[in-house]
Amino acid sequence: MPFNARFTIRPITLAAAVLLASLSLDGTALAQEASPAAPFQKVSALVPLPDFVPGLGILYVDPGTLPAGPFLAYGRDGRLVSTVYMLPLATFERHEGWAGLSAAKAAVDHVDVVYNAGHPGVAEPHYHVILWHVSREAAAALAR
Amino acid sequence: MTPVRLDRRRFLEVGALSLAGLRVLPSLRRAGEEVVVRLRADPAGSRVWFEPRGVAILPGTRIRWELEAGVHTSTAYHPDNARAPWRIPATATPWDSGYLLEPGRSFSVTLTVPGVYDYYCAPHEAAGMVGRIVVGEPGAPPYFPAARPEWRPLPQAAAHGFPEVATIVRHRAIR
Repeated sequence: MPFNARFTIRPITLAAAVLLASLSLDGTALAQEASPAAPFQKVSALVPLPDFVPGLGILYVDPGTLPAGPFLAYGRDGRLVSTVYMLPLATFERHEGWAGLSAAKAAVDHVDVVYNAGHPGVAEPHYHVILWHVSREAAAALAR
Repeated sequence: MTPVRLDRRRFLEVGALSLAGLRVLPSLRRAGEEVVVRLRADPAGSRVWFEPRGVAILPGTRIRWELEAGVHTSTAYHPDNARAPWRIPATATPWDSGYLLEPGRSFSVTLTVPGVYDYYCAPHEAAGMVGRIVVGEPGAPPYFPAARPEWRPLPQAAAHGFPEVATIVRHRAIR
């Protein structure tokens, strides 16, 4: 399911993106290998989603961190491509926030903030905040 | 709206029924026919919808939901489905397709009981992805039993997503 596309950033989501992008990547070191260690699990084993999600890649998450994540996304070549947070709109409306979210210990090339209407696992409207660890070109290639 | 095409034989059938005083719209499908509803999503997964989201059919028509993009379900509004409110005819059988993951996959039901059938997509109900089927002569409202505390409420976006029954009957299919 294609989840990734750019859109016009609204102020509230821009604020979330800036917040998340400014988080220290020296926090919990998350795996860059294709199969991060437990408690991370492949998302397709937890909910009815394909192994490879077009636009994102192969997703892993610690179920205890749902719905926000982080989700670690890998390309078909096993390379870590992004750290993804899935932030429900309802939490924005309740003026809630997130603090201390972990991120992969990898350089961030760019950030996308993408609205999603919902999918198994996060069955409500939410935003994907995607810290890309690869170039825009490599990220775009995941849509295919 | 889907354009209406009638062949000569169908035109004569409809005309005869109309002359007989029966309230049969030329848009209604013949019993035993199949109507396809596509489950769609834009490439970003930001917009999701049934197409058509409202359709009028005759009793005995088969409805087939076909996955075009995204991950969707077709799930009848009925307490058997996750305590959903009851929004199908009292004697009709509820359905739940389960998740359709691969484009081209489909799920079918044949609806025989006249009335109004509301349904939703499980992961996208909160985003307002709902549909409505009017089977035969729906009668007068209320079409569904009154809400009960044990049934979960409709998400706001879903509650506003159903086309009016009269509009569906008048136009046959609402995109």
